[in-house]
Amino acid sequence: MRVELDELLFARGTFTLRGSGTFDEGVHLVSGPVGSGKSTLALLIAGLLRPTGGAVRRHGISSVQVLLQFPEYHITSSTVAGEAASWGLDPDEVLARADLVGRADDDPFRLSRGELKRLTLCCAIMQDPDLLMLDEPFSSLDCTAKQRACRMIEGRREGITIIFSHESAVLPRVDAIWEMENGTLTGLGGVPHAIPRWRHAPPYLAYALNEGARPENIRLQDAREALCRIRD
Amino acid sequence: MQDPRLRFLAAAVLSLAAFASTAGAVAALVWWLLATPRTKTLPGPRVLIPLIAMIGVTALVSALEGGPGLSYFIRMTVILLLAAWAYAETREGDALSVAVWALGNRVGFEIGLIAEMGIGGLAVIREDIEHAQVAMALKGIRPGLRSIVPLAVTLIVTEIRRSDDIARLLAVRGYTFGGEICPEFRRDSKDLLASISAVFFGILSCLPLRDVFILLG
Repeated sequence: MRVELDELLFARGTFTLRGSGTFDEGVHLVSGPVGSGKSTLALLIAGLLRPTGGAVRRHGISSVQVLLQFPEYHITSSTVAGEAASWGLDPDEVLARADLVGRADDDPFRLSRGELKRLTLCCAIMQDPDLLMLDEPFSSLDCTAKQRACRMIEGRREGITIIFSHESAVLPRVDAIWEMENGTLTGLGGVPHAIPRWRHAPPYLAYALNEGARPENIRLQDAREALCRIRD
Repeated sequence: MQDPRLRFLAAAVLSLAAFASTAGAVAALVWWLLATPRTKTLPGPRVLIPLIAMIGVTALVSALEGGPGLSYFIRMTVILLLAAWAYAETREGDALSVAVWALGNRVGFEIGLIAEMGIGGLAVIREDIEHAQVAMALKGIRPGLRSIVPLAVTLIVTEIRRSDDIARLLAVRGYTFGGEICPEFRRDSKDLLASISAVFFGILSCLPLRDVFILLG
């Protein structure tokens, strides 16, 4: 199971996106500033946008899902339970996992942005597609919800998960890091070797690296453990 | 057309002429063919075709009930062409500048600001529709009658929320009523001729046809 970007090119107006590389099974983080082209790349990989040049090749992938940055766009039902069912899932299970028990009959538009994000994130992950792309999955979530989201992402046993995010506080354990800047995608490679090359690294990782520590992954606890190792 | 005052005048006069009669619509169509970049200002087929289809269905129903279906179709299509041209040529700040020029810094600014927000909102709605269609495609919902209701609900709710956010933002920044800008307008050499001809076509279309021939004779 893998996704290959072969000299991918996409142009719209003055914006141009370029990228090459292979996304293997595991969790990939595509980081980069707002407006760098992360959402466009997600739609291109999903086949929802047609490239201007090059190709996106998906091998051994039978199901694709994308979690859009703004969860409101996903709503197609008038109740929270109906919304969960519209993803082809058992509403009770989804509501329990999204911490929305007792809200089954509520209008999804009455949920806060954070609650709605939790709901759609749960639905996307519980669908368990071969290729899952999460566009800014941590936006609108508080720290606890971000940590829970990270655990859910890490809990995916198989398939390719690509996280497109500029989050710099709470991140999950990942297998590879990519950077997106001004429409250009650069693969930094597998973790932990890619971490020192990561220019958009969160402040806690940058601090750990400056101190001479070598974190094994990108989470806060990885930076802490690496710092503890060199100070012991 | 560079000068937004003349552009809005031409669009308003010709739209009224097209709405008033089929002859006015034909005159406005001739003007549109002569004075605008024509098809370059039209939206893409995904926007244009549904709009024309909606007009066509209404015209067909009208014709089947013995009404002036064909006339309605011609008049509304011409108004759509004029609106597409005016929208495509409108730049950010045009509506505010024209409203302040016409009605001053209090009432004009208020009306202009509302118009600017409305025009800006059209582009945002287009993006909202694209995103909602993507989300539906991901759920396997095909575009059709069954997808119209959820799509419309999403659009209405997001637009109301966005308007509420903007209103709060304006209030937080101390906005109460009116403002102050000094509008500046640029004018193309063809602007005056195009706008005078628009007014001429507009007046001409308001006259009964036989009176036109008497005038010309």
